[in-house]
Amino acid sequence: MVLMVSTLQEVTGDDSRFFFGYIGVASALIFANLGSSYGTTKSGVGICSMGVLKPDLIMKSVIPVVMAGILGIYGMIVAVILQGKVSGSNSSKQGYAYLAAGLCCGLSSLSAGLAIGIVGDAGVRANAQQDRIFVGMILILIFAEALALYGLIVSLILSQTS
Amino acid sequence: MADVDWGNPFGWNEQQWASATWSQRFTFINPFFWSYLGVGLALGTSIIGAAWGIFITGVSLLGATVKAPRIRSKNLISVIFCEAVAIYGVIMAIIMIGKINSPDTVADIPTCYTQILFSGYAMFWTGFSVGLSNLICGVAVGVTGSGCAISDAQTPETFVKILVIEIFGSALGLFGVIVGIIESSNATYPKTC
Repeated sequence: MVLMVSTLQEVTGDDSRFFFGYIGVASALIFANLGSSYGTTKSGVGICSMGVLKPDLIMKSVIPVVMAGILGIYGMIVAVILQGKVSGSNSSKQGYAYLAAGLCCGLSSLSAGLAIGIVGDAGVRANAQQDRIFVGMILILIFAEALALYGLIVSLILSQTS
Repeated sequence: MADVDWGNPFGWNEQQWASATWSQRFTFINPFFWSYLGVGLALGTSIIGAAWGIFITGVSLLGATVKAPRIRSKNLISVIFCEAVAIYGVIMAIIMIGKINSPDTVADIPTCYTQILFSGYAMFWTGFSVGLSNLICGVAVGVTGSGCAISDAQTPETFVKILVIEIFGSALGLFGVIVGIIESSNATYPKTC
């Protein structure tokens, strides 16, 4: 049904856009945190195994854990931005765009977290055996982090739909 | 002119809704849901493929570099090929977002709704095909890159030869983008209809 919200603004859209919009909000946060926790866990286990024999390298090896933590922040940013907009969406197009925004950020951060975790684990263990690997590990981690950034950028573009 | 009422576009009454078939109800699923789900799939699955490729190749690269440090910088090219897969996904998502519009003035509701519904279906399957082909491309480049790093550590001459195989693998993602652009070119969201 067509609802009149104010005298100037007309709302047209089926009410299921709120359902899917909030799925977007939830998925942005949930998947980003899943990725972040996987990254932290996997590289953390590697650091603990490596640190037994090379305790001096532990602080340098915490970099993958920090990079994985950033992914949770991306998810939180997008979720907070979207939740304010979903309730105020006044057309179907906007509501479903917020679904896409949440999915983009969430799935990208999830996959970036998987990559950071697995590469971080292998990287810190290899770094303990060979000093020259550190730069290579950082480069691969940066490429993996960029994936989450792409998702964040497209989510922010989608959250601006009118 | 009033906008299309997406909840009830043809203005059906209770009786018409009660006697609607399932395929008719399926066509009343909002076309913008299909469109934006396609955008989300295009980006999300492409980036899953890119990340998968990065960690498959990264692990082998790091392991092989322990005993052969000279291979480190050259084999980062495999990681860059995987990153390119993510960029294909971003390009397609931005192209698709640019196409999606709601109509400004609506003259004839059934034609308008049908046109937008067709565009919605086109966008969804564009996103699905681009995303799935980029997913597979990322995995292919990752596995090949991992083999490349390990064999380069053993025999330096094999690097260029395996790189050629990787280039063939990364063409898969390009095929997906080309087909996606052709598929989404038919999707018009008319401003006036």
